[in-house]
Amino acid sequence: MLILALETTGRYGSAAVIDESGKVSASSSSSEKNHLKDIIHLADESISKAGAAKKDITHVAASVGPGSFTGIRIGVTTARTLSQILGLPCISVSSLEAMALRAKAYAEAEGCTYICSIINARRRQTYGGIWKIENGELTEYAEQKQCMIEDILEMAEKLDGRLCFTGDGIDAYESIISEGLKAGTYALASQEIRYQHAAEVAMIAKKKSEAGDVLEYGELLPNYMRLSEAEQRLREGTLSKKISR
Amino acid sequence: MLNGKHITLGIESSCDETAIGIVANGREMLANVISSQIDIHTEYGGVVPEIASRKHLENINAVIDKALEEAGCTIDDVDLIGVAYGPGLVGALLIGVAAAKAIAYAKDIPLVGVNHMHGHIAANYIEHLELEPPFMGLVVSGGHTNIINVKEYNTCEKLGGTRDDAAGEAFDKVARVIGLGYPGGPKVDKAAKSGNKDAVAFKRVYLENGSYDFSFSGLKTQALNYINTERQTGREINVNDLAASFQEAVVEVLVNKAVGAALEFGQKRIVMAGGVSSNSRLRELITEEAAKHGIEICVPSPILCTDNGVMIACSAYYAHLKGESSGYDMDAVPGLEF
Repeated sequence: MLILALETTGRYGSAAVIDESGKVSASSSSSEKNHLKDIIHLADESISKAGAAKKDITHVAASVGPGSFTGIRIGVTTARTLSQILGLPCISVSSLEAMALRAKAYAEAEGCTYICSIINARRRQTYGGIWKIENGELTEYAEQKQCMIEDILEMAEKLDGRLCFTGDGIDAYESIISEGLKAGTYALASQEIRYQHAAEVAMIAKKKSEAGDVLEYGELLPNYMRLSEAEQRLREGTLSKKISR
Repeated sequence: MLNGKHITLGIESSCDETAIGIVANGREMLANVISSQIDIHTEYGGVVPEIASRKHLENINAVIDKALEEAGCTIDDVDLIGVAYGPGLVGALLIGVAAAKAIAYAKDIPLVGVNHMHGHIAANYIEHLELEPPFMGLVVSGGHTNIINVKEYNTCEKLGGTRDDAAGEAFDKVARVIGLGYPGGPKVDKAAKSGNKDAVAFKRVYLENGSYDFSFSGLKTQALNYINTERQTGREINVNDLAASFQEAVVEVLVNKAVGAALEFGQKRIVMAGGVSSNSRLRELITEEAAKHGIEICVPSPILCTDNGVMIACSAYYAHLKGESSGYDMDAVPGLEF
């Protein structure tokens, strides 16, 4: 087993390869939002770092969101097409879950029993989810969804243990968090492990593949967690007439 | 290679069509699969970029499979991948570019980024097997109106373009104003067939002497003014007459400028491209005018006038013959020039 994992939902793209033993070889981009230009190089570099070749890959995994719509599409299209052309199964991984896993060691060191991943969805909105650390494993505690930062804080207040926030939602809403929650009840993930990375996408993908949770390339789909603006407006009946070719 | 022939797979996703074409030796069409999103966008009165991007992603892999099946080959037979990397909607383009790179990387085959507009011109090479540059190009679509001096394969000098709306855009806007709806081009064309082209006096905008530029944005205002005046005086509006008169104003300027350019640059052929070159009145009038000067007209059939992957594959093939190739760091360029 050798899984290639792609992560392009955040600011910096990355790719990683994980082998049977759980050894991860990863490559990260240093250019911001450069996913389309970087992704194949990152994939190829991580395969080389693993001492492997393209033909050794057995699964293609992608972080399917939430996150940057454009970023999601680049990763998912690349993963779908690699899987189609190489004849390999796909694995779908939540960006929020991978972020929670990345912050886990930090959270444990901070004495936290919960991790909340939050991605900035602008105008006080977030894409968020809460995981509980039980026996060193993460279990989904609150459903992943789009919600207001205030909704997250409301959930956070009711937890029976310390909570560690992670994700770029911290950068956007740190002051709201510090005003809304009692000091000492929460921690903020450090910058180094705050953002999405393919290494954790690969680790989650390995577990999923072992559990048989794999997809055909046509089934690998983005999880935008939000309708397009035009669809929202059509539903609300406020579609502007200015949308035109 | 398939039966000793070089095989190119072309990917097109610049606007609302997810399309894959496969050609043998550059000019023989083996597959042309186009998945149109028009029904989805019609609900919004035009192409919504975010929705187009989402649909491209959902469609593209199935379209690739279908094209390979139609061509009777497998991905192992493909020698070259071509992809439109601009101009177009950036979110739409990048789906095609990402898929193209993934195929090229997975199969270790060369990759060429194609200018979508060069692709439109190349559509003519498929159906006119004897056609070779040089010639004069008239590219008319929803996003472009250009007169192009084509010197070699994929070597194009832009002589003029639109200063405001593209010809196809003018059709869409006027169609909306007169209640024909989207997409405007085919609807105006159809209505105009039973209308009188001299019924309403639309201005022919030629701009400065010798200019090969266009301006069509005033036509929408003229249509609106005409409708308002007629309504105020209680007269009923004849939509067919209005469509025919508007169409004639666009077509006449296109034809005169294209024929003028061919004469000035001594080209014996005018090659048409883009969705608007399907317009029946444009085809009729340009053929008539060109014949007066011994100029030959080439037009692709309507299926190759619309955005398609075959034209991208053909253009990629000729770029490849010249030794051009693109790396995995190719970007989508929404504002790519000719």
